[in-house]
Amino acid sequence: MKKKMLSALLCTAMVAAALTGCGGSGDSAPAAEAPAAEAPAAEEEAPAADAAEAPAASGDSLVYWSMWDAAEPQAQAISQSIEKFTAETGIAVDVQFKGRTGIREGLQPALDAGTNIDLFDEDIDRVNTTWGSYLLDLEELVKTNDYEASANAGLMAACREVGGGTLKSIPYQPNVFAYFYNIEIFEAAGVSAPPTTWAEFLDTCQKIKDAGYTPITNDNAYISSLFGYHMSRLIGEPATEEVVKNGDWDNPAVLQTAQAYEELASKGYFSETIESNQWPAGQNTELAMGTAAMYLNGSWLPNEVKDIAGEDFKWGCFSYPAVEGGVDGTEASNYGAQVFAINAKSTKADQAFQLITYLTKGEADALLSEMSVGIPADSNNAEWPALLSNVKPVMDSLSTRYPWGAGAEANADMTPIIIENFTKLCGGSLDAQGFVDALKAAGN
Amino acid sequence: MFDGAALLHLTGIGKGVTGLKKNKTMIVVFLTPAVVMFSIIFLYPIIRTVLMSFFKIEGVTDAMSKWEFSGMANYIKLFNTELFRISMWNIFRIWLFGGLIVMGLALLFAAILTSGIRFKNVFRAIIYMPNVVSAVALATMWLQYVFSPKFGLFRSIGKALHWEWLEKFQWLDPSHLFIALLVAYCFGMVGYHMLIFASGIERIGTEYYEAATLDGANRIQQFRYITLPLLKGVTKTNITMWSISSAGFFLWSQLFSMVVSNTQTITPVVYMYQNIFGAGNSMTERNAGIGAAVGVLLSVCVVLIFVVCDKIFKDNDIEF
Amino acid sequence: MAKEKKVRERVNWHKELHLAPGYIILTLWVLFTFVLLGWVVGASFSTSKEIFSGGVFKFETGIHLENYAKAWNTSNVSVFFMNSLVYASISCVLLIVICAPAAYVLSRFTFLGNKLIQNGFVAAMGVPATMIVLPLFGLVAGWNILNVSLANRAVLIFLYVGINVPYTTIFLLTFFSNLSRSFEEAAAIDGCPPMKTFWKIMLPMAQPGIITVTIFNFINVWNEYFMSLIFANSDKVKSVAIGLYGMINSMRYTGDYAGMFAAVVIVFLPTFILYVFLSEKIIAGVTGGGVKG
Repeated sequence: MKKKMLSALLCTAMVAAALTGCGGSGDSAPAAEAPAAEAPAAEEEAPAADAAEAPAASGDSLVYWSMWDAAEPQAQAISQSIEKFTAETGIAVDVQFKGRTGIREGLQPALDAGTNIDLFDEDIDRVNTTWGSYLLDLEELVKTNDYEASANAGLMAACREVGGGTLKSIPYQPNVFAYFYNIEIFEAAGVSAPPTTWAEFLDTCQKIKDAGYTPITNDNAYISSLFGYHMSRLIGEPATEEVVKNGDWDNPAVLQTAQAYEELASKGYFSETIESNQWPAGQNTELAMGTAAMYLNGSWLPNEVKDIAGEDFKWGCFSYPAVEGGVDGTEASNYGAQVFAINAKSTKADQAFQLITYLTKGEADALLSEMSVGIPADSNNAEWPALLSNVKPVMDSLSTRYPWGAGAEANADMTPIIIENFTKLCGGSLDAQGFVDALKAAGN
Repeated sequence: MFDGAALLHLTGIGKGVTGLKKNKTMIVVFLTPAVVMFSIIFLYPIIRTVLMSFFKIEGVTDAMSKWEFSGMANYIKLFNTELFRISMWNIFRIWLFGGLIVMGLALLFAAILTSGIRFKNVFRAIIYMPNVVSAVALATMWLQYVFSPKFGLFRSIGKALHWEWLEKFQWLDPSHLFIALLVAYCFGMVGYHMLIFASGIERIGTEYYEAATLDGANRIQQFRYITLPLLKGVTKTNITMWSISSAGFFLWSQLFSMVVSNTQTITPVVYMYQNIFGAGNSMTERNAGIGAAVGVLLSVCVVLIFVVCDKIFKDNDIEF
Repeated sequence: MAKEKKVRERVNWHKELHLAPGYIILTLWVLFTFVLLGWVVGASFSTSKEIFSGGVFKFETGIHLENYAKAWNTSNVSVFFMNSLVYASISCVLLIVICAPAAYVLSRFTFLGNKLIQNGFVAAMGVPATMIVLPLFGLVAGWNILNVSLANRAVLIFLYVGINVPYTTIFLLTFFSNLSRSFEEAAAIDGCPPMKTFWKIMLPMAQPGIITVTIFNFINVWNEYFMSLIFANSDKVKSVAIGLYGMINSMRYTGDYAGMFAAVVIVFLPTFILYVFLSEKIIAGVTGGGVKG
């Protein structure tokens, strides 16, 4: 270490010297010649200094590329569990916390280049669709290890569905997308039960507004979901996706959705600053601060705002209400999980599966759930974190799985245009017909 | 080194050297390291990118056997996509308006800094400082503090000065987000271009100004008739660098539209990212070929600007 | 420095009055900068709740030093810092050694291919980094050398240098093209060979440009994110930018904004001191050297 410090210092000194040297009088010492001669030597010296203390990064251990950043509670929980795992089984694990971007942008090139990676994790859809061709089929391993005895059946089914009928990934850290609300505001407004239909929803909003609170807020990051969920309630998710992908804005459901939101806007149910809410302004300054009551978001929300909302914030949760004459009801929503997957080229698939089992069951799963305020994956871990206790009934009531945004973001070329115009609709600066016209105009 | 020299001879580089002897060797020796470095790092990726733009490819690193030839389809699709046209329009607006603002302020500050004021180093260091701070922190600061419609700095200033338009201005709604982005980005970039201008002015000898002062020229006249003409080369550098950083405009755009992109802030590189890595949280179709086509178009734009600049500033080159 | 102090002793009020508008403009801008960056620093001492209720400058709940403790403890900042220092220092020196001669030749001599090289360099800068970095990674990762940290470091430095060659060269072009040819002519008459003339006379005369571009290169390498992300294979060789990004994201995903700003300040402070130190040294050199055009 000392040597490394020294070489680094030398380098700095050299640069400084070179630079001051430049300042020397015009035609005396040829400043740049010095670094020209020294620099290559220095380059060799600096890395050489730590060559001795740098064993090959992977060697014989299991290599796990993680989607978490090292400082996140999930990463800390996983590290702790991995340490125990190694102590118990003697299997060394080289875990690289790459973070979301690191995995999204770096995993595929690394796999293509044949980098030694045994297992990795990310969102259920991304792992199964984007990286589907790199995954090892896990059906055999699951069967021989009787993994499913204590796994969440719904999520396992979801994994098989996105895996094209076979199991290629193991879910953990489940999440669900629904309306999250402040129970205290509901109580103050005299709302006894969360709304299940659109009429009840409108009624709830009016009561909250009368009680002096903002009924609904949102941020640019999630606002398209309002559109997607309402559309999907009306005509179902596959149809919504078709509308968005094919630009079929003449579909009556689009105007109907827009009119529903025009009504919300005209009655003043949205936050005054809804158009200006850049994530996380809405969730942090309005919902968590207790001025707004409801926010359509994922079950990670209580964790994200816990520093602001405080420990005693009472979280309620309800699925997006059903609309009259609609195809889907409150049983449909986006739910999913992060998933582990094993590289098809891995030579240590058994050990990798052993690690996955360890991390998604029992103590390790409970620790992860506790530290990250997340939902446990092991069905034997029945106790959910207190902040999420009201999420459990909602999660249990779901039977139809929507993809992210309920189809609203199915066409990347349209997403920003939908968001822009839908935000204006919620803010009242665009009416329902104007919204439809704007989408039509952009479709060309 | 040796190979490079041979290459230069083969391609005829080194011909037409005027005047001094040994120049041929000098050109070869001086140029080779840079050209070799450049070729190693850039040549393969650039050729690959140009090729890719004519294919349909799912992942950037997919092997060539998985490429599907599609001719000009990627380019045609780009020009027919509203979102891409919006992103090009955004980048053009940033380049032009942002360029005017940044160059104007940078030149003004550089002129003041080099006019013999005190605490020059302190001023210089502070104006450049935003470049050293992480963009993520700065963007959070702008979005959640300065532009906040509830307790923002601009709102407070408007209130204090009784400027109602400033107090009420909604920086962050879909109609004004671009202005907000432009203000935040320009604020950070002024220091960088100021340093370039300042180093250009510093290189101009003091005797020019001394002579001009003796002739009775005032400071503004001196700036107009000495500094500006002698800054042509540096201005060219500044415009080139500004164009390059505009073409690569990415981070700020992403920070001003968390998770999913936004019509006011999307730029071609963000669009490219969506096509290569997928957009936001939803699983959308990926096509690295389209990403490559965006890269090619951007490069062409930058070269065009560079060549035009060269033409404009070349003829007036002043020797001194 | 000494020279500067002497000047400071005699305040020429007449001259200062002339400069007043300049002072006012700069002071306003600097004040604005201070408020903005002051907010970032203030936020790092407050709580997430205060940040999102507009109470950063009030410190109603006191000064929260624990943000710093938390940010420091969760990440290996000192290792990242050393890595970046080594990468940036070596790269900067190599860049000047490689690019200054090239820029000089490109700006001074007309020869076939000159314009081609210049345009090639500029075009390269227009290609988004993703398109450059990912194919390169595909190549290099195939050689299986990235698992050895010595090789990994060498590759990183090589790439930092290579990727900044076009930028540095194009930047320095102008600084050489605007120098008078009379210096070379005079040197030639004195019998100084052209290459020696370059190192001894022309290079020192372009120093404002060299200094400026070195500062930019330093900051570029220091802040470089994407390439480091893809190529740095283990924690041992990671750079500050990657470490900072990891910390920032961790804090953001857990809603700890005060901690996020603390992480930013932790990384910013040494960088800023380094910047001030470097530019002081450099500027002292310039004023002492008395560059004459």
